[in-house]
Amino acid sequence: MGTLTIGFLIGCAFGAILYMGGATSYRRILGTLLLKDMWIIKLMCTAIGVGTLGLYLLDLNGLAHLSIKPAYLGGVALGGIIFGIGWAVSGYCPGTCVVGASEGKWDAIATVIGGLVGAAIFAMAYPVMETLLLAPLDFGKITLHDVTGLNSVYLAIPLSAMLLSLAFFVLKDRYE
Amino acid sequence: MQEQQAIISWKVAGIALGLLLILATYLVQPLGVSTQFVVADALVTHSLAPEAAESNAYLAKYGEKSDWGIGYGGMLVLGMFAGGFLCARLLRARQPDADKGSMPAMWQAAFGNSRSKRYLAAFGGGVLLLFGARLAGGCTSGHMISGISQMAVSSFVFGVCTFGAAILAAHILYRGRA
Repeated sequence: MGTLTIGFLIGCAFGAILYMGGATSYRRILGTLLLKDMWIIKLMCTAIGVGTLGLYLLDLNGLAHLSIKPAYLGGVALGGIIFGIGWAVSGYCPGTCVVGASEGKWDAIATVIGGLVGAAIFAMAYPVMETLLLAPLDFGKITLHDVTGLNSVYLAIPLSAMLLSLAFFVLKDRYE
Repeated sequence: MQEQQAIISWKVAGIALGLLLILATYLVQPLGVSTQFVVADALVTHSLAPEAAESNAYLAKYGEKSDWGIGYGGMLVLGMFAGGFLCARLLRARQPDADKGSMPAMWQAAFGNSRSKRYLAAFGGGVLLLFGARLAGGCTSGHMISGISQMAVSSFVFGVCTFGAAILAAHILYRGRA
């Protein structure tokens, strides 16, 4: 099977999970951000908890095609803040707006179009951004085990356990 | 407050998403979406004005990788649309009513009935989302789900900043309204 076909099939499963799991739901996203409905954050913690353990085991056996993102701290932090505001305003993220658009939700379609514009604005601003925010403070593709010097087993297992227990035991919905 | 659930629980969705990430990383690479907005811009720009696309360093960086067309990542996003579309057609009856339609009841209760207001906010939010994601180098899937699972320092920074700003922005938006 070709890589393109694999990509399409993985995408289909990704879209199906996001749709069925309620990740395209405005009330769930905003509910999580207002710290009332923990559905989305529990879903994410579970996914990352399973993923951390699985990727550690894959990598241990030399089977993982990892892709670590570089830590240029200024750009990552400012980008995260801008992203977070956009997330709260639209109620979607770049993945869920695509799935929401496939459901025929017009607000999701508006977010996709806004996203194409936002990416184009970034492309135009790229030379300036590179000088100001991407090149400075760049610590490269570092991981927790690079920084702490610990073997990744001592990080992956506690992180995974912490995220899963957050999802299953700690986080609770708060409705008055 | 009686909450209607989704078609599958957060537990099933979370475990399935974690396993999908492991499968994708084993077969090709971790999950990611936001790059494809640039690839799509590059594709459109290159078909309308090839020189403009080639002279833009950022569009060229992503467009040329797949010959100004789409590659694995683009197929993944098309797949997301197809998978969502198919499920929405087959399972619509089982989707909670509160999650259907283009006008969320929660938004309507806080900001009124104007559809153009909702779509304008969704559009503006989209602009911020992708500008921020491209500045940071990833979004919820690439940075948070895939990145934290790989224990990347940049993804922890992204996760903290994103959630911090989003929680603050949501509280400001809904202050005195919900």
